[in-house]
Amino acid sequence: MTVDAQLIEHMMEPKNYGTLENSNSEGLGKNPENGEKVIVYLQVMEEEGESVIEDISFQAIGCSTTIVAGSMITQEARGLSFKGATNLISATMKILDKVPPEDAACSEMVALALKASLETYRLRQEESDHPSVTYQISNDCTPKEEEKN
Amino acid sequence: MKALAISMHEAWLATLMAGFMSNTSSKQKLFDFSDILFRHFTWIEAEMVMAKEPYDYNREAIPIKVEKLSVILHNIIQRLNQIDLQLAVVSPDLSHRITHDIQYITGVLAQLPDEEVTAFNTLRKLDNIELSSEATDALTLFLFEESYKEYELIMIYNYLKAHSDDAYINRIFQILVDESFFHLKSFGDMMAKMGILGVPRTIFKEMYQVEDIEAFFLAGIDEELAAKEECKKLSDAVATNSPQLAQFFDFINNQENYHISLMKDALAHWEKEKNV
Repeated sequence: MTVDAQLIEHMMEPKNYGTLENSNSEGLGKNPENGEKVIVYLQVMEEEGESVIEDISFQAIGCSTTIVAGSMITQEARGLSFKGATNLISATMKILDKVPPEDAACSEMVALALKASLETYRLRQEESDHPSVTYQISNDCTPKEEEKN
Repeated sequence: MKALAISMHEAWLATLMAGFMSNTSSKQKLFDFSDILFRHFTWIEAEMVMAKEPYDYNREAIPIKVEKLSVILHNIIQRLNQIDLQLAVVSPDLSHRITHDIQYITGVLAQLPDEEVTAFNTLRKLDNIELSSEATDALTLFLFEESYKEYELIMIYNYLKAHSDDAYINRIFQILVDESFFHLKSFGDMMAKMGILGVPRTIFKEMYQVEDIEAFFLAGIDEELAAKEECKKLSDAVATNSPQLAQFFDFINNQENYHISLMKDALAHWEKEKNV
C-alpha cells in the first residue's frame, strides 16, 4: 500500500468509528477466510418519501486498510438517500473489480456491510424486529447473502 | 459505575497520549499518571464485576490533535474533575483513593510547562534516521497496526483477568498486560516522533467477551506468530538505513517468543483444569 497524506489522516483519526447510539439499522460484511468483519450502523430518516442516511458509523475487526476504507466510505455515505448509497456501493464494487482480490477484500467488506445495513432497514419496514443482514465476501468478489437470522 | 469506568478509560488514554506528545521531563510524569489512571480503571472494573454490573469497553472518540501541550493538559484536568464528581458510585475506600490522586495529579498537571506539539505534523521523520520511502511506508503501517494491537491485547487480557479467579492464569495475563504496555509505549513514542500519533480505536466486544477460551489461546498464539513475522519484515525493511532501528524490532520480535510460551502454558493449564 502506498501511504499518502489522505491515508495517514484516516489512520490517525478514522471518521465515524464506533457504535451509533440512535441507530435504527445495522449490517455486517464478513471475510469467511480470516474472521475479519465490519458492522455499519445507520440512523435513517424518512424525508419526502425517501430514506436518507442521517448518521452513520462503523466498527471493524480488521487491518488498517479496512479502517481507512470504512472511514472513507462512511464519510461518502452520510447524507445520501438509499438510491445514492446504492450507487456509491456499485461504484465502489466497480473500482474493486480492477484491483487484485487480496487488495480489494477490505474495501469490499465495508461496501457489503453498508449494503447489508440498507437491506436490514428495508426488511425492518415490514418486520420491525428483523435481525441484521450479513453478507460475506467471496473470492470472485460476488456478494452472497449469508444469513438473515 | 459504568459511566465512571468509561470516563476513567478515556482519561487514562488522553493522559497516555499527552505523554507521547511531550518531549521534556513531563513525559515520564504523564506516563506515570496514565499508569495510575489505568489502575483506577481496573479497580472500578473489579467493583463492577463484584456487583455483577454489565459493562463493556466502548467509549467516545478522544480528540487529541493539539498544537500546545497545555491544551490537552487542560482537557485532562477537566476530565479528572468530572470523574471526581462521579465517585459516589464506588466503595468509600476506592473513592477516597481516587479523589486524593485526582487532587494531586490535577495540581501537578496545572504546573507542567507548556510545549509545542509536533506529534501530528505527519512529517514521518524518526530522529536522525534517513529511511527510504518504502521503509517509511512499511514503518508507518506497522505502527498503526501494532499500536492498535497492543491496546487491544491490554484490554483483552485485562478483561479476562477481571473475570477469572484462577491465580495461575491471572499471573500470565498480568505479564502479557505489562508487556503490551511496554510495546504500546514504544510504538506510541515512535508515532509521536514521526508526527502520526493517533488514539487506538475502540474494540469489538466479542474480542474480549470471549466464549471459547481455548480457541482464544490458539488464536492468540497465531497472532503472536504473525506479530513476529511483521517485526521480522520491518527489521529487514529498515536494516539498510538503520541497523539501530532493525535491532529494536529484532528485540521486540524476540520478546514475542516468551509471549507464545506463556500462551501455550496458559492453554495447557486451562485444559488440565477443565479435565479435573
